Amino acid sequence: MVLLSVDGVECRYGSVKILENVSLSVKEGDFVGILGPNGSGKTTLLKSISRTLKPYKGTILLDKTDIYSMKSVDLAKHMAIVPQESNIGFGFAALDIVLMGRNPHMKRFQMESEKDMAIVRKAMNRTNTWYLADRPINELSGGEKQRVVIARALAQEPKVLLLDEPLTHLDMINQLEIMDLVKGLCHTERLIVLTVIHDLNLAARYCNSALLLKDRKVFAVGTLDEVLTSKNIKSVFQVDAIVKKSLVTNSLYVIPLSPQKPSLARKCAIHIICGAGTGTLIMKALVDEGYEVTAGVLNMLDTDYESAELLKIPTVNEAPFSPITEQTKRANLEMINKAAMLVITSVPFGYGNLPNLETSLEAVKRGVRTYVIDEVPIEVRDFTGGKATALMAELRKHGAIFIKHPSELPTLVNATHDLMELRKHAQTEIPGHLKNEPKAITEPTGRKEPR
Amino acid sequence: MTDKVESKYSKRSSRWKLILLLLIVALVVAIIFCLNIGFAPISFSDILTILGKQIPILNRSINSSAVSTVNETIILQIRLPRVLAGALVGAGLAAAGVMYQGVFRNPMADSYLLGASAGASFGYTLAAIYAGSLALNFFGFGIFQIVAFVGAVLTVFLVYFMSRVGNKVPIATLLLSGIVVNIFILALQTVFELRSGKALIGIVAWIAGGFTNITWTNIYAVFPFVLIGTVLAYFFTKDLNMLAMGDDTAQHLGVNTERVRQIMLLTGSLITGAVVSISGVIGFVGLIIPHMTRLVIGPDHRILLPTSAIVGGIFLMLCDSLARIATGASELPVGVITALAGTPFFIYLLRKRKTSYSL
Repeated sequence: MVLLSVDGVECRYGSVKILENVSLSVKEGDFVGILGPNGSGKTTLLKSISRTLKPYKGTILLDKTDIYSMKSVDLAKHMAIVPQESNIGFGFAALDIVLMGRNPHMKRFQMESEKDMAIVRKAMNRTNTWYLADRPINELSGGEKQRVVIARALAQEPKVLLLDEPLTHLDMINQLEIMDLVKGLCHTERLIVLTVIHDLNLAARYCNSALLLKDRKVFAVGTLDEVLTSKNIKSVFQVDAIVKKSLVTNSLYVIPLSPQKPSLARKCAIHIICGAGTGTLIMKALVDEGYEVTAGVLNMLDTDYESAELLKIPTVNEAPFSPITEQTKRANLEMINKAAMLVITSVPFGYGNLPNLETSLEAVKRGVRTYVIDEVPIEVRDFTGGKATALMAELRKHGAIFIKHPSELPTLVNATHDLMELRKHAQTEIPGHLKNEPKAITEPTGRKEPR
Repeated sequence: MTDKVESKYSKRSSRWKLILLLLIVALVVAIIFCLNIGFAPISFSDILTILGKQIPILNRSINSSAVSTVNETIILQIRLPRVLAGALVGAGLAAAGVMYQGVFRNPMADSYLLGASAGASFGYTLAAIYAGSLALNFFGFGIFQIVAFVGAVLTVFLVYFMSRVGNKVPIATLLLSGIVVNIFILALQTVFELRSGKALIGIVAWIAGGFTNITWTNIYAVFPFVLIGTVLAYFFTKDLNMLAMGDDTAQHLGVNTERVRQIMLLTGSLITGAVVSISGVIGFVGLIIPHMTRLVIGPDHRILLPTSAIVGGIFLMLCDSLARIATGASELPVGVITALAGTPFFIYLLRKRKTSYSL
């Protein structure tokens, strides 16, 4: 069993500590992602493991041998590195590059033997680069170049493979292919693989354990489930993120939300009537604008229900695929009554969710400011034989505002909010003076004492 | 298609040997051709006879009665040393150029950029001013050769140690230090020249470079440097290939980069110092010949180093012969010929290769 163990490693540039007390133990077949923000020490750790930067304190053992006591040729027989960006000049052919991987196994004057050639050919077949063999390396694309460099690493026949951000500058298909390749090698050749990687989703998908660094120290280490939590992501990257398990890949995926803005904290609630995904973007947009958003009635497992869960939006729910009952309808109305505004999305209406429209009408009649997004004509999405269409007409009659596209909503909502705020101020601070005076919006100086 | 590639690679070793063999033949032909050039007309058959007589065993079957002793003296004592000096200096400069360019991964790197020529010129100038009459002979080196050699080697080492940061030598720092030291030494040299008040035409002529006063002792003194230096460098050609991938990658492939760099720098500057001491400053060869050769045979240093050396030798030898006959009575400095002849050919090669050329 091959074992790489990093024990209490501290690295310094001059007197500045750039890595503190990092310990890690990796066994063959492990694929470890080294995660962390810029400047957290990821590349430094990789450098010290690859013998480029000698630690100030601590040891790095490969099979119980200190790698800093080995000759560089001997280490190269066991450890291969795929650097961040291979600056390869000189116009060597791809095959020349991969043949260089055989160097640690060759004597100074030896030419490459049949055996070396066979190993190189296998490595190039493995990485699907044999067809590039006689092409000059500087004429290859980023993905091809990276695969050639991985082939060179394989030609070293290493036990440990270190990759430093191997996916930078690569497109989606190349990223997946490279990760698939490395994962496969890790599995079949029983390699120890360590990779510095910025893409948390790819890390979650391919690595089987992770090391999360923060401020040059280990913040978390363990399986992806243990390391990749939204709490850890928040503390390390300062980003709110949703972490979920994908049913398709059976791995975690991370949806970063906007980095926390200085919240506008509009102390104003908006209720949304939506469903079937028509409300997701609107909920997200209004949350970003700083509103307290609520939604309902939503059937559980509905797309908008899941979005509301992720965004931590309070909802009134109904059982999956069930019509809205009297009870939930009432609960929804209560929620709407707490809101300052109501938004109805272009959701299709059937008998199941028709009560939502009835509730809306009641709210409009009580004077709740209501916006109806009329992106798709109601006739097209009315599956109640005209009842929904009739209710829509009622809504319009009682003062609901119809808008054509959801993108117009935030501006309108913000304007309404500001107007309401102004009125509130007018009522409390200068009673009577500016009441019902729309002019006040454009003349904030009017608040000063008129002479 | 790619199976062809594999067989091409497996036959690479014998292909390289063939290339070297052909180049050596070309070198010999070029030497004989150059021996023919000069004011006294001496036929090829006479030249072959004179040369053949010098070869043991073979000379028994050669009848040299038809060749005049004057011609023999011209060939053996005047033309041959000069022709061989051209070959030796050209080979040395080109080999050192390959080493420097490989070690520094920089197409501009050559021994002159690191101060070798400036150091040699300065040493020569000092000797001309203060010790011109000193008769000294040290393994075939006269006083001028010794100071030029020492000047060249010392300057390269000064530049190297000046650029040392911790135990590493960043390439950019090294090249910058080289440029600065070059300028500084040039200024020093001007000060000494002006203060001495002597007629320094000799210095100017020497700095321009040439092979006017070459003797056999010069050849004997320089030959070991070029031969041993190039052979030593050949041990590290695989490392140079890997250095082309960057220092870190080379280390990860098992190369002790700092040691390779030191050895190459030492070897390169010793070769340069030795050849500069007998030829003066001849530019262009160390910079351009490696590039030319690389464009034709590719970047692998295992073949690049020996071919560059031979091509450099042939090139400088031919240029010197041209310099001898170009303008009749007074010779053109050989550096002028190398630049005039080499540049168009280099541009032609560069244009013919449509792909981008980067080192």
